[in-house]
Amino acid sequence: MSDDKRSRKPVPRPSPESLPFWEAAKERRLLLPRCNACSRFFFPPSQRCRHCLSPDVNWVASKGTGRVYSFVVYHRPYHPAFEGDVPYVVAIVELDEGVRLLSNILGTPPEDVRCDMRVRVTFEDRDGASIPMFELAP
Amino acid sequence: MSFPEPNRALRNRCAIVGAGNSRLGQVPGVSSLDLLIEASANALDDAGLTPAGIDGVIVRGPDDSYCHHQLVGERLGINAHFSTTLDNGGASQILSVAIATMAIEAGLATTVLCGYGRDAWSRTHKSEEARVKNQTRSDDQHAKEFGPEYGYFGAVAAHAFGAQRHMHEFGTTREQFAEIAVAFRQHAQRNPDAQIRKPLTVEDYFKARQIVSPFGLFDCSLRSDGAGAVIVTSAERARDFKQPPVYVRGFGSFNNLTGWFAAENMVHTAAIKSGEAAYRMAGIGPGDVDTAQLYDCFTYMVLAQLEDYGFCTKGEGGAFVQSGALRMGGRLPTNTSGGQLSEAHVEGMLQIVEGVRQLRHTYPAERQVKDAEIALISGHGGNQVCHSTLILGRVP
Repeated sequence: MSDDKRSRKPVPRPSPESLPFWEAAKERRLLLPRCNACSRFFFPPSQRCRHCLSPDVNWVASKGTGRVYSFVVYHRPYHPAFEGDVPYVVAIVELDEGVRLLSNILGTPPEDVRCDMRVRVTFEDRDGASIPMFELAP
Repeated sequence: MSFPEPNRALRNRCAIVGAGNSRLGQVPGVSSLDLLIEASANALDDAGLTPAGIDGVIVRGPDDSYCHHQLVGERLGINAHFSTTLDNGGASQILSVAIATMAIEAGLATTVLCGYGRDAWSRTHKSEEARVKNQTRSDDQHAKEFGPEYGYFGAVAAHAFGAQRHMHEFGTTREQFAEIAVAFRQHAQRNPDAQIRKPLTVEDYFKARQIVSPFGLFDCSLRSDGAGAVIVTSAERARDFKQPPVYVRGFGSFNNLTGWFAAENMVHTAAIKSGEAAYRMAGIGPGDVDTAQLYDCFTYMVLAQLEDYGFCTKGEGGAFVQSGALRMGGRLPTNTSGGQLSEAHVEGMLQIVEGVRQLRHTYPAERQVKDAEIALISGHGGNQVCHSTLILGRVP
């Protein structure tokens, strides 16, 4: 059982607050929590706005575009399921809405990824989940 | 909100009168608790004390220990007026000295043992699978998202993000990171207790395998077993001990609780405000510091802190280290026992021990920072956002 678990890439195990994010991702939509009181986006999801603590928050579609704030390249797997992926890129993506998401950059060789590069969202399906990832914006 | 003003009245009110380390490196067959007892016994001996002379215990345990100070007191056979266990990761060890000072000044204790031990090589970090986590619920009850599904694991990547962004903004290079690793290895070669004393060259640095780039093997600190301990008492009492006192001149802390990924926190770290507070309490500035013992979990963190503590301006850290500043005889001999990159990774505890030893002026000439009067020591940890600073002085 545990061997089987380790051979598969992890799927997100949401918190109660992040569940809508992952449910929307299944429909290939990137939703972000936004505060109705102060109109700002925030992340990670919470029942209260991290800027003004208002409970009046709701989920809004992101444009799905942004830039690579920083990135790293894994040359060794820390989890057996990623063995076939090395070298792979993990990035901090700053969306145009201002929030930052941890993600992967797909479709570009690691040596060509740069900070501040423009990216747009794509989705990778995995074991019933769908995971927002990013690729170079055209 | 106004910035809190550190209490200058605490300057030089307490001193460190004992310092010790355990065996370091790969020390199988002993628990982190007994390594801490070994370091504590050495610190007590150094001070000329028995456990009965201790009435305060402030420690940090391994992440899976509960109320670790109780276990320490039990093995030392002592009760304590004041004791607690801290949970700020690598920032905890300096906080233990700061809190000891506050407890002594408040009359809650007179002589406090501060220490930390780990068995990272033998147990807690033996493998990714065996990694001991700081959690009390079973693993499958935790939310797990925004990390593992992207193949994001470990502290290497978190710090590598900072290094990458710094390289992007300021043109910092891996040659400059290499100089940090090479300088500290040179220091470790003079330290008989160091885990790794084999010479290291810039060429070795570039030949080594990449781990999570921009970091290769020699950008990363060691996986170590080991412990360190120091004994803090009031400046009045400190005069009566075996060793010359080393004064707690100032301390500070800052915590970027909004997160390592937020704002510019991974480039302009919490060391900035922690350092400002410590400098104000100590009544000194970066130009007064003779030696730095910085939390070097990764080469980049040394470079970032050199800038954040004002030893050079932001973006100039690379040029500063390449000038040879960190070497013995350099402008700011740093991590003079080899640091966590070469001596042993005991989460900042050995940095305090080394700062004390440098200010006693008892090292042989090759290890002694000449005329060292002021040492600045840093701690960094948690999820990269907790920071603490300690400034020690040879004379009050």
